[in-house]
Amino acid sequence: MTNAIRTENLTRKFGRTVAIDSLNLAVPEGAIYALVGANGAGKTTVIKVLMNIFGPTGGRAQVLGIESRRLAGKAFERIGYVSENQEMPDWMTIGAMLDYFRSFYPQWDRTLEQQLVRQFDLPLNRKLKHLSRGMKMKAAFASSLAYRPSLIILDEPFSGLDPLVRDELIEGLIERAPETTIFLSSHDLAEIESFSSHVGYLEQGRLLFSEEMSVLATRFRDVTVTLETPQPLPSDLPSTWLQPQLADRVIHFIHSGYQDRASEIELAILFPTARDITCDPMPLRQIFLAVAKSGRLRTSSQQDHINAEGTAA
Amino acid sequence: MKQILHIFAKDARRFWGEIFLSVAITAAFALFYPQQWVGPDHIHSVMGNHGTVGYQLVIAGGLLLVLVPVSWWLLITRVVQAESLVGDLQFWLTRPYEWPKLLAGKLLFLLAFLYVPFFVAQCALLAETGFNPTAYVPNLLYNLLLLTGIIVLPLFAVATVTSNFARMTLTLLGVFLGILALELAVQPFMPHHTTGIEDTSLTAEGLLIVGIIGLCLSGVVVVLQYRLRRAVLSRVLLFGIPVLLILCMPLSARLEQQHTRGRIEANYPASSIPPVQFAYRPIDPDLRQIDVFPDNSDVIIHTPLEGTGVAPGTVLIPDAVKLEVEAPNGFRWASDWQDTNAPKFYAGAEGSYAAVAMPRAIYEQLKTTPLTIRVTFALTQAKATSVSQVALPRHDFSVSGFGVCAPLTGSYSPFFGATGLICRSVLRDPPLTYIGVVWSDAPCNIPHSESNPGVQGAGWIGTLDRAPADPNISPVQQVNFNLTNGYKSGGGGGSRYLCPGSPVIFTQYERIGRTQAGVTIHDFHLPILTTHEYSGAITSSSTGQNQ
Repeated sequence: MTNAIRTENLTRKFGRTVAIDSLNLAVPEGAIYALVGANGAGKTTVIKVLMNIFGPTGGRAQVLGIESRRLAGKAFERIGYVSENQEMPDWMTIGAMLDYFRSFYPQWDRTLEQQLVRQFDLPLNRKLKHLSRGMKMKAAFASSLAYRPSLIILDEPFSGLDPLVRDELIEGLIERAPETTIFLSSHDLAEIESFSSHVGYLEQGRLLFSEEMSVLATRFRDVTVTLETPQPLPSDLPSTWLQPQLADRVIHFIHSGYQDRASEIELAILFPTARDITCDPMPLRQIFLAVAKSGRLRTSSQQDHINAEGTAA
Repeated sequence: MKQILHIFAKDARRFWGEIFLSVAITAAFALFYPQQWVGPDHIHSVMGNHGTVGYQLVIAGGLLLVLVPVSWWLLITRVVQAESLVGDLQFWLTRPYEWPKLLAGKLLFLLAFLYVPFFVAQCALLAETGFNPTAYVPNLLYNLLLLTGIIVLPLFAVATVTSNFARMTLTLLGVFLGILALELAVQPFMPHHTTGIEDTSLTAEGLLIVGIIGLCLSGVVVVLQYRLRRAVLSRVLLFGIPVLLILCMPLSARLEQQHTRGRIEANYPASSIPPVQFAYRPIDPDLRQIDVFPDNSDVIIHTPLEGTGVAPGTVLIPDAVKLEVEAPNGFRWASDWQDTNAPKFYAGAEGSYAAVAMPRAIYEQLKTTPLTIRVTFALTQAKATSVSQVALPRHDFSVSGFGVCAPLTGSYSPFFGATGLICRSVLRDPPLTYIGVVWSDAPCNIPHSESNPGVQGAGWIGTLDRAPADPNISPVQQVNFNLTNGYKSGGGGGSRYLCPGSPVIFTQYERIGRTQAGVTIHDFHLPILTTHEYSGAITSSSTGQNQ
C-alpha cells in the first residue's frame, strides 16, 4: 500500500524550541488518520510543515508523492485543508467564496457542491464575517470537499463546535472517506475514535506510537490483578506496563503491549497466587490519558534524576 | 491567464471603494493641478473671478500632488495584503494559487487602476498646458518607470513583508525616521566638497540610478516573497541593503572623489587655444570673499574673475574648479577638483568667481604670505543651435523645443512676487536656453516714448542634460526664473514691466565639448578672516596680479 503522507526524521525548530523532533510517519492511502496529542505537542506544526506553510528544519516530508517544500500551486488541487483558525475571505458571501474557489479546481463537482450546501444548510448569500464559528467551519468544509480531493487535511476541525455541527461535519467526512485519505489532528478523542482507522500519538514533537485503531485497541488493556494475599509489586516490571498501582491485594496497571495468549501466560507467571485477572479493552480517551500521564511521569522522573545528579556534583 | 483574471476580478470587486478613491483623486489632480500654474490663462482667471475660491483651488492642487501617491500607498497595500505573504493562517496558502499568476493578478490590478488612470491624467495635464501628449509618450513611460522604481515597487515590496495596513504605515514611518537618523549619523564623515560633475545625487543620471536600485531591490524582494514567503530574509534585504548603502556613503564619496580626478583630466582636455581668457578682478570690498565651514575645518576662498574672449553664440559652463597655490618658500598646495556654482561665461556676461575649499590649517599657514595661485575650471562648451524671437503675447505661448511660457506682469504674479516670464516644460527642465527680453520702465498702459528703447534683460534656464524625464507626479514642470534688470536702480525703484509686443528671444544651446581653462595670479593675498562665524564671515579684499 502506498502512503499519502510520509515523513522521515522530520524536524522543525523555532529558535531553540524543537516543535517536531525526528518524526517518522506514514499515512496509508485511504486511511483516516488521527494525530492526537496534548496542547503544544506539535500537531499543528506537523500539518503546517506538510502543507508547506512552514519549511522543515531537518528531514523531509512527502505529501501525495510530492516533497512538502515543493508543494504549491496545482498540487493543492488534490488537497483539501481546513484549520480551526484559518483566515477565510470574510468579506465574501458563501456563494461568492464557492464561486471564487470553483475556478481554481478543474475537477470541482457542482453537484457535490450543491449537495454539501444542502447537507450543511449553508446560507449562500450571507457574508462569512457574519457567520457563527460552526457555520464558518461548515463553509470551509464545503469549499474543501467539493472538488473531491485525494487528501483531506484537517487541523483541529471540531474544536469549539457544538455536538450537532460536529456530527454534521463528521458525517460529511465519512461520506467522502471511500474516495480519499483523511489526516486530522485533534484532542477530541471521542469523535475520532468513532471513525478513525489509524491513530498517532505525538508528545513534545515526538511520535510515541502510530498504528491502526484496531491494533491499538487490542494492544492496550486495563489490567486488574486480585491477589490471594498481599504482596509487593515486582521490582522488574515490564516497560509496557503503565502506571502500576498496588492497593492492598489489588494491582492495577495499563498494559500497552497486550497480546492475548502471551500476556495471559506472562501474568500467570508473575502472579501465581492471583485469584482473579481481568484485562478490559480501553476506549481511546483512556489510552490517550494513560500514555500522556506516563509520559509526564517519565519526564518528571528524568528531571528528578538530572536534579539529583546536579546536587551530587 | 484565467487565474490571473480571476484574482484581478476578485480584487476589483473587493476594493471598489479604494479604486474609486484613487481614481477620483487622480481625476481631481488632473482637474485642479493646473490652478498651480501662473499666468493669464490659469491662475489669474480664477483669482480674478472667484477670489478666495481660487486660492483654495490652488491649495487643493498642491495637496492633490501629495494625495496621488498617498492613494497609491492605500491601493497597493490593500491589494497586496489581500493575499498576505506574512503569516501562516491565510486561506490562499493551501489553495491552488500559482505565485507567478497571483503576482501577475496584482500587477494587472495596478496597471488597470493605478497606471492607466495616472497616465490618462498626465496626458490630460499635458493637453491642458498646450503640449501634444502623443509626442511625449516615451517621456511619460520613462517617468512611469522611474516612479515605479522610486515609489510603486518599494511600496509593493514593503506591503509584501508586512501583514496589514497599520504595520505597513508604522514600517514606512520607521524607515523614514531610520533613514533620517542614518543620514545625520554619516554626515560628519562625508567629504565637505564634492566634484560637481560626479555628484550625481540630484541629476537625471543619479535619479535613474536610484530608480534602478529601487526597481532591482524591490523586484527581488517581491519575487522572493511571492515565490518563497521568506519574510525575515526579505525584510533584511529590503531594509538592510539601503542601510548598508547609506552607511557606505562617506566611503563611496571619497572613492568617487579619487576616481573623479582622473576622469576630469581625461574628459576635460586643456585646449591650445583657450575658449576664454580669465583675469583676476579685485572685488567690491563689501562682498564676501571667505567662508568657514561649520566645523571650522575648511575655509572657502572666493576668487573674483572675469572671463573674456568667449566666441559669440557659445557659452562655457563651469562644472568643477581646482586651486593650486605656491608660496615664496616653495610650499605648494593643490585642491581636488571641487564642484562649483560659478556663473556661466559668455559674451557680455558679468563677472564670475571661483570658490574653492581649503583646509583651515593651510589657510592659517599661508594667509599672510603673497602667493602665486592658479585657478582652473573644468568647462562644458555649448553652442547656440536655434534662436526664436516672439513678440510677447498677452496669453500663454509655445516655444518650439522649449515649452510653453506665459507673461508675468503685475497681477499675474501674486504668488511669486516677480515679473517677467514663467515657463512650463514636459517632465523636466527645458533644454539650456538663454532668454533675452526688453523691459519697460513705465507701466504698459502708458504710451512709450520712441526715445526710450527699454532696458535689456536676460536669464538662463534649463539644462544640457537630455534625459527623457525626472520622476514627477505632475508631467508639467513650472520653471520660475529671474531675468536681469527686472528692478529699477538696484531694486529701490520698483519693478520694471514686460509689455505685450516687446521682443523675447529664446536661444537654445547644445553641448559641443569639454575643456579646461585657467588663470595664474601672482602676488595674491588670501582674504583675511575677521570672524569665525560661518554665515557672517566678511573680509577685507584680497589682492593680486594677473598673468
